Amino acid sequence: MLKISIDRLLPGMILTKPVSGANGMVLLPEGTKLNEKWIDRFESMGIDGAWIEGKAEQVEPLEDAILALDRRFEPVVDAPYMTTIKNLVKSQIEKLYT
Amino acid sequence: MEEIAHFISADPALTARVLKMVNSAVYGFPGRISSVSHAVMLWGLNVVKGLLLGISVFDIMQKLMGGLWDHSLGCAVVARAIAAEKGIKEPEEVAIGALIHDIGKVLLIMGFQDYYGAAIQDAAARRVSIAEAERAVFMKTHAAVGMWLAEKWHFPPTLVEMIGYHHRPHLAKIAPMETAIVHFSDVLVRARGFGFAGDTFAAAVNPQAYELLDLTGDDVLSLLEILEKSRDESGGFAL
Repeated sequence: MLKISIDRLLPGMILTKPVSGANGMVLLPEGTKLNEKWIDRFESMGIDGAWIEGKAEQVEPLEDAILALDRRFEPVVDAPYMTTIKNLVKSQIEKLYT
Repeated sequence: MEEIAHFISADPALTARVLKMVNSAVYGFPGRISSVSHAVMLWGLNVVKGLLLGISVFDIMQKLMGGLWDHSLGCAVVARAIAAEKGIKEPEEVAIGALIHDIGKVLLIMGFQDYYGAAIQDAAARRVSIAEAERAVFMKTHAAVGMWLAEKWHFPPTLVEMIGYHHRPHLAKIAPMETAIVHFSDVLVRARGFGFAGDTFAAAVNPQAYELLDLTGDDVLSLLEILEKSRDESGGFAL
């Protein structure tokens, strides 16, 4: 579960927390599947984001996540044990996308 | 001890934050501690003192360098899990050590914000660790600065070593295991790319420390899992 900002909300995402307006009134209950109409309305109601299902990593594509991992490890990949650690982190990242 | 509990309790904002902190995943008692005196009783004064320090220091940290806060919290979560796994008597103390292991960075940033900014840029440009860039700018690393502060403030020796030797864990004499845990937590959180500790690179693990910890691949995977879960639950670690 993660909170993402309004400009990254997409139709089809499912709320894991209710969305409330400025006055605290619940507008959409949790479990709601967002559609374009709702997302458009959020902005005019001053809502900055929403909690949705899924994992933070999934916001960026897997290829990007692996590329970033390669870049991070580049200076140390030849150090003892670092290939092992890198492979473990890699397999954990891949698991997030399955 | 009662005095400290009383002092904290008298400040509602501080109380709320202490309770929020102790009930977070970092300390392993989610939702079970309801009073400050309970927290003090459970962990003793040293731990709660460290906690208070963590809260006030990281207030500043969040303002100056938000990514360092994420990095530190991630380390605390991982360190606590390893400490529990390794049967360390006070896993909370190790969690606190991990939480404040970069306190030297806070001091350097507070004192020399411009120079520290230059060190961060230098690290990125030369593709070196922030510690190496610090040495070029300040002649000292944040670990040495943190150790100096920890000694000056009469922290328990275990905490002094965890802070001072988190990059060179083989130098620890009193708390080699605890220091190795903080070191490896730092390595793992960086490897995962959580937070921002001054540079964007993974850090090489100290082979001696890694062997001392003797973690299996499955152990490391489950630590990564714990890190992921705690981040999801707190919605990006905000406290």
